[in-house]
Amino acid sequence: MATQTPTIDKAPGRWARKYPHLGQEPLPVTPYVDPAYYEKEKAQIFKKQWLYVSLERELPEPGSYKVRRLDCADTSVIIIRGKDGAIRAFHNACSHRGNTVVTESGQETYGHNRAGIVTCRFHGWVYNAQGELVNVPHEDRFYSCFDKASNGLTEVHCDTWAGFVFVNVDPGPVQSLKDFLGGYADHFGGFDFAAADYGFTYHTTLDCNWKVASDAFAEAYHVDTIHAGSFPNVFQAAIEDVQLFGPHRTCSVRLQLDTPPASTPIGDLANERSRSSLAAQAGSSSLPPTLNPNQDPDWAFELSVLFPSVLLHVSEGIWFTHQFWPIAHDKTLWEGKYYLKRPESYSELWGFERAMVLQRNAWLEDTATMEDTYRAMLSGAKKFQHLQDEEILIRHNCVVVDDFVNA
Amino acid sequence: MTDPIGATKTIMEEKSVQTLCRVGDVPADEPLRVVLPDDHAVSVYLWEGSYFCTDDLCTHGEASLAEGYVEDGQIFCPFHMGSFCISTGEPRAAPCSEPIRAYEVIERDGMLLIER
Repeated sequence: MATQTPTIDKAPGRWARKYPHLGQEPLPVTPYVDPAYYEKEKAQIFKKQWLYVSLERELPEPGSYKVRRLDCADTSVIIIRGKDGAIRAFHNACSHRGNTVVTESGQETYGHNRAGIVTCRFHGWVYNAQGELVNVPHEDRFYSCFDKASNGLTEVHCDTWAGFVFVNVDPGPVQSLKDFLGGYADHFGGFDFAAADYGFTYHTTLDCNWKVASDAFAEAYHVDTIHAGSFPNVFQAAIEDVQLFGPHRTCSVRLQLDTPPASTPIGDLANERSRSSLAAQAGSSSLPPTLNPNQDPDWAFELSVLFPSVLLHVSEGIWFTHQFWPIAHDKTLWEGKYYLKRPESYSELWGFERAMVLQRNAWLEDTATMEDTYRAMLSGAKKFQHLQDEEILIRHNCVVVDDFVNA
Repeated sequence: MTDPIGATKTIMEEKSVQTLCRVGDVPADEPLRVVLPDDHAVSVYLWEGSYFCTDDLCTHGEASLAEGYVEDGQIFCPFHMGSFCISTGEPRAAPCSEPIRAYEVIERDGMLLIER
């Protein structure tokens, strides 16, 4: 799908006019609080759709592997680079008695073996990066009906796009990753994600539904209030360039150039020495023509949602993700990962560190709302939420999730 | 039947000097697998400035030891993390229990050699 022409409609209600099928009515709270709804989300979305699980660079050489826990799909997957350079993925389950092959140390476990194998630590069964069972201690004591060749690891669909590794645990045939991403891949595919690999990550487990967490980042309406501390008068509350790509969506967030925030000597110096903060005016040297196509001076960053639960943000020399992993209907693992290019001078390093602290503060402000929102939802006092037009990304998510759940 | 000159015994025990590789071929941080002319594979190690050589095939799990890790003078098998002394071939860590054959490495004219 080709990138759509940016709208010039600025009047209230513009996104509802552009996407009338999304409706304008209040949306029910039930999908956020109902455990049965979450079970359907697991079955119809997280066990059937492509999920972003790793960057290719997290598997730098043959024998590198990562285990990603997927509570939302009742499994965890081993993603491993073989001696042939190919990345494949398997359920982390041994063919012997079902133990996890790689012992997990958390939601993400990393390892490397020069032989390109993983070994179950329970009884020592060894599998290669093609998933084949290559060694069974005391193999001669198994019965004649045991067939080593047919007892490899259970493979899951695995494919890559722009340096991102995806899996799909549906055991049947699935839509290709290319078709799943559709126009979203065209929109972001020209950005050099590999160029920025210096940054920081945070994660925490939140007592809220995954959509509460995702929604909190998917609009700029909250910035004036929630981010009055970290980004005062920096961003506009209205979003621009909204585009829907199947289940995915994107928009751009704009700077307030007419009423710029009060400058500080430190902030001015940091922004002068480095392009590392979303609050600084962006250039466009690293951006593909699909991003900020009109070279608008107030363009700050692209805010997108890679369905189902990744928010991908792209700006000049910066990109970052928020990923919301459902653990239960009322529990979500949030992971924030922020990437810059490697600093080339000490002043740039200092500017980067300042930008990262600023971003951390903003994320703390964001995540601080989520458990409160969810507790209030659980009270049952409010049966509906009321979304305004600039919260169109949230409305789109509600509609898309509901379509999958009721498919 | 007698063998007055002991020829058979001599032939059975005769060792030949076999070339492994050039001195600079063995990286300091990982073993080098070398396949000898009779298809027998050995693993060559550079450890604290000295060269060592053992058979490549683990006596426990049929792994290539050259794909393992050297630490504290031991080669750790990549399959089950058992280990052998790279100098003597004696097993050091379970599940390895049978020794592997170790060879003295001879350095001559820029080449590494063993007798076997």
